Amino acid sequence: MIKLIGVRKIFPGRNGKEDVEALHDINLAINENEFLTIIGPSGCGKTTLLRAIAGLVPIDAGEVLIDGTPVRGPGPERAMVFQNIALLPWDTVLANVAFGLELRGVPKDEREERAHKFIRLVGLEGWEQRMPGELSGGMQQRVGLARALAVEPKVLLMDEPFGSLDEQTRRLLQEELVRIWEATRTTVVFITHSMEEAVLLGDRIVVMSVRPGSVVEIVPVPLPRPRGGRIDTVGWSTEFLAITAHLWTRLRDMQPDLVRSKEALAGVSS
Amino acid sequence: MTVAAKQVRAGGFARARGLALGIGPSVSALILLAVVWELVGRVVGAAFLPPLSAVVGRLVELVAEGTILLNLATSLTNLVLGFGISLAIGLGLGMLMGGYRRVEAALDIYVNAFLTAPSLVFAPIFFTLFGLGRGSVIALIVMYSTFIMIITTASAIRSVSPSLSEMGRSFCATDLQLFRKVILPAATPLIMAGVRLGAGRAVKGMINGEMFIAVVGLGKLMIDEGRQFDAEGVLAILIVIVLVAFGAAKAVQIVDARLTSWMPSTVRAE
Repeated sequence: MIKLIGVRKIFPGRNGKEDVEALHDINLAINENEFLTIIGPSGCGKTTLLRAIAGLVPIDAGEVLIDGTPVRGPGPERAMVFQNIALLPWDTVLANVAFGLELRGVPKDEREERAHKFIRLVGLEGWEQRMPGELSGGMQQRVGLARALAVEPKVLLMDEPFGSLDEQTRRLLQEELVRIWEATRTTVVFITHSMEEAVLLGDRIVVMSVRPGSVVEIVPVPLPRPRGGRIDTVGWSTEFLAITAHLWTRLRDMQPDLVRSKEALAGVSS
Repeated sequence: MTVAAKQVRAGGFARARGLALGIGPSVSALILLAVVWELVGRVVGAAFLPPLSAVVGRLVELVAEGTILLNLATSLTNLVLGFGISLAIGLGLGMLMGGYRRVEAALDIYVNAFLTAPSLVFAPIFFTLFGLGRGSVIALIVMYSTFIMIITTASAIRSVSPSLSEMGRSFCATDLQLFRKVILPAATPLIMAGVRLGAGRAVKGMINGEMFIAVVGLGKLMIDEGRQFDAEGVLAILIVIVLVAFGAAKAVQIVDARLTSWMPSTVRAE
């Protein structure tokens, strides 16, 4: 179980500019085996929040606890999947998936065997000896996912992992992720800017405010599981559409200065 | 079949013709140059431009006498020792400057000053320090080639994508692991670009050193021939020097190609 208590993060202003408060008093409890999605407006600090849980950025106040232990840096029980994928371009798919295990000193034979297992799981069998540059974006992110799963983490942290993919690839990977997650039930914290994605994947959705980011609402997703394999049917159900619409209302209302009034637009057209 | 494939890859009209003759474009250019040299040398008949055949004849003579080989061996020894020292200092200091802001802040301005200053002005100092021999030449080679490698190595390390380092840290890499398994391989292509520049400068330093201070090597031989107004001899040695430069560049290129074969060929300098 992950607990965030009064988490605050301030980025000091450079060259005399004012400090920027990225996270303001975040309180959140993430249950074991839960798929939690986090959504918020652009620049609301959701990635910073994930990096704080990952131990990649120090926080200025509060506490991030994992099973009661405060986070002081990255740890073996957490693994991350990155938006820009961050594969090692000089290594094969196999070596990339085995990378986390290699750092932990797992002997070559054993780590390659385990890597093979996760390469199969993400559907990349036969691609082990290819280089990342030879793979499409979607396949690269499958490697990124396999690399994180290979260290068998208790918590999987995913930072807009499908954000840079085209819509069709994204849908296929969402299905894949749901299928894998419903088989493994690892705790997942998943950042996204897509409302559909937040609803399709999550058990609960955390809605964050504009900067400084704080939690404004936690939306439960009562859609039935397993969702894997029939994600499209889920995607067209009335409950799905209702939650998505609710999220959009919240997010839109948070950014009134970006929503132009009819009067303003009338002034332009006349 | 292979010929057809090669022609398709070569693309251009001129290249395709070169291949039809069974030779590459660079060899064709060389043959053309040789023919022009021979013709101009014969027609003009100037003392400073003997025809190629006479120069080659003199070269064979010098080789037979043993003078060239002896001096070539001396020069190459100087080059290998000098460039070896340069590599050690250049890569070592460059990595420190790239990795530690403080080291960079302390040394940057001096390294840049030494890079810009004409290295030959240090010749008299080396002469008084190391005397009229190998030591001075080696010191000058180091002076010529080290600083460019320090600067390129430092910027190679600094320009490694922060997302790759972050990925490494998220998988709990220690500082040493991060450096060896992520930063160094990622920086290698740019580091090797610097090593190429350094190798070129090392050859320059070698010849300049031998011509201006030391009484050894190819540079010294060239001075001697020049004093006797032996244009054929001077040009014969010039050919050997160009061959040494070519060999040095080729050697670095081979190492580079092996280390960075993972780079897509469109990015890698050929």
